Amino acid sequence: MTEKQSGQKLISLTIDGKTVRVPEGTTIWEAAREAGIDIPVLCHSPRMEPVGVCRICVVEIGERVLAASCVRKCEEGMQVQADSDDIQQHRKMLTALLLSDYPQQSAREESTGDDELLALARDYGITELTFPDGAAGPEGRGTDGSSPVIAVDHQACILCDRCIRACDDIQHNDVIGRTGKGYQARIAFDLNTPMGESSCVACGECMAVCPTGALTNKSVAGLKIVVT
Amino acid sequence: MELLNKMMELQEADGSVSDAALHKLSKETGTPLYRLEGLRGFYPVFRAHPAPKTHVRVCRDISCAMRGGNSFCRDVASALSGVADVEVEEASCLGRCDTAPAATVNEIPVSGSVEEIRAYAQGETPLPPDEPKAAPAKWPTDPYEDAAHHYGTLKSLLSAGEEKKQEVVETLKASGLRGMGGAGFPTGMKWDFTAKARGEPKYVVCNADESEPGTFKDRLILEELPHLMIEAMVIAGWIIGAAEGVIYLRHEYGKERKALTHAIDQARATGALGVSVFGADFAFELRVFISPGGYILGEETAMLEALEDKRGEPRNKPPFPTNAGLWGKPTLINNVETFAAVPVILSRGAQWWEAQGAGDCKGLKFLAVSGDVEQPGVYCVPMGTTINELLERCGGVPEGKALAAFAPGGASSNFLPAAKGDVALDFQALQDAGSMLGSGAVIYVADGRDLVELASNVVRFFRNESCGKCVPCRVGSAKAVDMLETALAGNPQQNLIPLLQEMGDTLAKTSICGLGQVALAPVLSVIENFSEAAAARLGGSNGGRKP
Repeated sequence: MTEKQSGQKLISLTIDGKTVRVPEGTTIWEAAREAGIDIPVLCHSPRMEPVGVCRICVVEIGERVLAASCVRKCEEGMQVQADSDDIQQHRKMLTALLLSDYPQQSAREESTGDDELLALARDYGITELTFPDGAAGPEGRGTDGSSPVIAVDHQACILCDRCIRACDDIQHNDVIGRTGKGYQARIAFDLNTPMGESSCVACGECMAVCPTGALTNKSVAGLKIVVT
Repeated sequence: MELLNKMMELQEADGSVSDAALHKLSKETGTPLYRLEGLRGFYPVFRAHPAPKTHVRVCRDISCAMRGGNSFCRDVASALSGVADVEVEEASCLGRCDTAPAATVNEIPVSGSVEEIRAYAQGETPLPPDEPKAAPAKWPTDPYEDAAHHYGTLKSLLSAGEEKKQEVVETLKASGLRGMGGAGFPTGMKWDFTAKARGEPKYVVCNADESEPGTFKDRLILEELPHLMIEAMVIAGWIIGAAEGVIYLRHEYGKERKALTHAIDQARATGALGVSVFGADFAFELRVFISPGGYILGEETAMLEALEDKRGEPRNKPPFPTNAGLWGKPTLINNVETFAAVPVILSRGAQWWEAQGAGDCKGLKFLAVSGDVEQPGVYCVPMGTTINELLERCGGVPEGKALAAFAPGGASSNFLPAAKGDVALDFQALQDAGSMLGSGAVIYVADGRDLVELASNVVRFFRNESCGKCVPCRVGSAKAVDMLETALAGNPQQNLIPLLQEMGDTLAKTSICGLGQVALAPVLSVIENFSEAAAARLGGSNGGRKP
């Protein structure tokens, strides 16, 4: 427990049978992490305000539906199940849905090798597409190579909103948002202009937080990024 | 409200919200461009490029597809193709399922054959008048003899004073009144929670954004009984301690907006609104916010986001609006019909209201009836009326056909077989029967209809109206539509039924809001209740899945 948190009211709950005591206001995801229980997640990053949009981190708390642990606050006496066959099945289904629109090649996996969606797919043993391939064919979401330093692959974007929070909340550059609606929703720069023509200052925060191959470092001057 | 209102004014004046206009608005209001793009890209009312002179919208959803045929939208488009300055757009439910197939020409509702709609669009037939009824019908939920007596309940409560407040809440609780928008939350409890919630100021919001296919009951109340809804909002303000109310009205309700605005003016003139309501130490003002469009805005937290000038994406809950609603403050949100039931309950008592129901059911219910029925329309019936009784009242199924199925509570409610026609239209009874009262929209389906096609139409609606915020709904609804369309074209993929069931389960359990949670429910109900019909179109068995 950090000093900042001391003095706050503590509440008790159980996560997968383990009793945990955390300051009031702690999310289930944070409490689990503190207890050494890793709940997988794509949209959340501890540096950001949670948004609960990828739903990978769902847990059972005895309600009608599952709760996204990244946004749900702990309550006294709560009994959280963070891992069960059912929950694994839902996480696998969500991963498979995202994967069905994913491009053949992820610029992140190919450079730094840390594509978080592909890592989840490996964890769940997903090797083939269950759903119609949304990345094939002419109606893809396209790429944007207009920025000199950041490569944008809209097809690899899973709308986790990390780049949006990085750009607007962390850096206060106020460039990235969502546009469109539903399945047509996507990230956009300013009034949906190419990144290189937008007010982007190329700070790099968005590509640093992106979990997929959507926003990656461009190889500048032909230098290839190699993982050693 | 301010930003979206400004953008709607731009749209109205220029026929579009251009990049140049948004750059200007960004400077004037200090709003980053990405936020303005987020709004323009999200709400269907905004266009980046000017609309043509004539803009025709044709409903593509279930009740209209049943009457006009699956190709109705395409047929209207081809009848008008090549005509200069006319654009035809397929639209989600316009809330006029009683005159299906429904369309609008420059926002004026029209209906009829392809040829008739073409003639309206080309100006050969003058557009019908779009004015509210001069002499509305007498409805059993209206306790007032005439307009001179309107707001009598509010007036007598205010003159009786503070001690009446708890009594109002208790009466509402005793009446058994539940939310009529879909969720059915007990109204008295909601008023109580909001009254006790800490935080100032508080708000009263009326959800007048019904948009689910088959649903148009609130439209009638807005046109014919707006004074009841307004009165209840003022009473609610007095009870919970709010001075401001907002009516969130769906964009497509033009003449209803006129009736509502007129009624608000009347209320103000009578003294029911203003800095001192009927001379009491209580101020209350009301404003109407016109939705920039989209079914999802009927989800109450999406509505709050819209009122805060954001993309209308549902919030993660808790917290609930009773504690943290508009601008994070305690907010009472009720549906049009729920509010409109309050004056009669308070003036005649909880027992009177209870006694209006059939059998053990309590109160009266407005229902929108559409589909295969002789006289579609809005009916006010005792809660607990059966599906078969209602059908009889609506003149039965056309052409003497037999009833095959019905959806009792709007497009999101499960389809049930005709054999269950004795089920009471009531919250509990319909839940026990495997469906729900939902949005108060009964869709009757005659023998010979392709239920898989109808259910797929509904899934398509949810795909079209998904906000896209969370993965299960955004991607799941789109993949389901893709797979259903391939199946309807005669090529169902292997194991489609078990896959749909598995997806449906994930969507129901992991989506943020009700839209995603029910997106596949209609098609799953057809798989469950009409297994032969489902297997014929979707292939295979139901996978031997547990019920």
